[in-house]
Amino acid sequence: MWFKRKNIGTVIVLIILIYISMRLTEFDLSKFKDFRNMIDFLSQWFPMDYSKLPDMIEDSFETLALAFLGSFLGLLIALPISFTAAWNTAPSKWIYHSSRFILSFMRSIPEIVLGLIFLTALSLGPFPAVLAIMFHNIGVLGKLISELIESSDPGPQEAMKAVGAKKGFAYLFSIIPQIWPNVLSHYFYRFEVAIRTSLILGFIGGGGIGQRLFNDFKTFQYSSVSLDVLIIMVMVIAVDLFGSHVRKRII
Amino acid sequence: MLEIKDLSVRFQGNKDDALSHINLSFEKGEFVCILGKSGAGKSTFIRCLNGLQKPTTGEVYWNNHSLFDMNEEQLRKIRREMGMIFQHFNLVPRLTVMQNVLTGTFGYRSTFKNLLGLFSAEEINRAKETIEDVGLTDQINRKVELLSGGQKQRVGIARALLQQPKVFLGDEPVSSLDPGTSNHIFNLIQDIHNQHQLLTIINVHDVHLAKRYATRLIALKDGKMIFDGRPEEFDEEKFHVTYHAASNQLDELPVH
Repeated sequence: MWFKRKNIGTVIVLIILIYISMRLTEFDLSKFKDFRNMIDFLSQWFPMDYSKLPDMIEDSFETLALAFLGSFLGLLIALPISFTAAWNTAPSKWIYHSSRFILSFMRSIPEIVLGLIFLTALSLGPFPAVLAIMFHNIGVLGKLISELIESSDPGPQEAMKAVGAKKGFAYLFSIIPQIWPNVLSHYFYRFEVAIRTSLILGFIGGGGIGQRLFNDFKTFQYSSVSLDVLIIMVMVIAVDLFGSHVRKRII
Repeated sequence: MLEIKDLSVRFQGNKDDALSHINLSFEKGEFVCILGKSGAGKSTFIRCLNGLQKPTTGEVYWNNHSLFDMNEEQLRKIRREMGMIFQHFNLVPRLTVMQNVLTGTFGYRSTFKNLLGLFSAEEINRAKETIEDVGLTDQINRKVELLSGGQKQRVGIARALLQQPKVFLGDEPVSSLDPGTSNHIFNLIQDIHNQHQLLTIINVHDVHLAKRYATRLIALKDGKMIFDGRPEEFDEEKFHVTYHAASNQLDELPVH
């Protein structure tokens, strides 16, 4: 009743895919025979070394700042573009297609590639990381917001036209209140992602707690690494809590 | 005042006209109700009157000016003289009653002032008075999505009134409301109509409601006008022709 002959084929294909992927990734559970090594390694992480805590906190603020700035500037630039990239508000077909193309182009470049380019061009530090996060987020948020615009209720827009409001203004005024909570929700998620991205960008010289984590790791200061990781976890959870608090208040 | 000449609308990909060769003229002071089944072309017709819908052929003249020869800016100036209310109210969500009603002034103000929400004391007072007229003073600072259907339509009416319109259009304004509320809304529209000496044109599903309030009835069927006259002339036979399909067709029953 639940299973059709077609399903058997799907299952076989999946099993083959899993097998091929395991071969390609050298998936091998027998490696856990040396599990003791892992425990030995992790035991070097403790006790934590608090001596560099003030510097670590300073670096975390740098990470927060660059994640916030990158994602927020991305949002500010993405907002107007998303209106030209939504079929129901685009001024013309030509503008619609070109803005969609620009957005998907920006999205297609991974932040780490952007980071490598900017860090090489503009020297090391958090500023190139901000730009990398911003560019990628213009692409991502632009697409997400244009989809929100496309699925917004056309009724209020029609009413704004009927009262004689100017066309572009009618769009903004009737759509933004509708999509605002979802825009914020997307934004906070992207902010959280930006924190994680900035850690990776830190590994290639983008500053912040990510760079410190990488340096501590490479110099075998595992008792500092553990504290870095703890701070990062606390930071991500705090941003998540703050985000859901703001969303609740708006919705 | 408002003249419709040979108006036809055909939607892309359709074989039949949604609206076919309509000729009509309306004068100030008339309370017109348009009857017809769903899909008869009522909505399309009323949306042509303020240019929300462009006709395939034909013209709408507002004080002898053709709506569809106008540019966007000129059409906008005509639209602000026509208040419109909708079946699904079309209020801007998340804004309060007051904020929604104030959008009725948008046609008269600069985009800059609109964006910043800079309203004059006169506009604010007028909005307050209008909200009082429709009986929503106690809800003035509530968000519109918290209101009942009838209250939402009152907000819609207040918004339209703030335009200081000469024409009042209603696209099925009571079709999503219960009968009692529908009566209240129609009473309110009639009061406003009489007080401001408007031209009122409303689509209605309910024949009895239309007969009670209208000074003139128009019936559409399959995009064609099949009746135009005084309410008392719309008899049982006309009712049948309007609402019942040809004998070999089964169709939905009308709402009485």
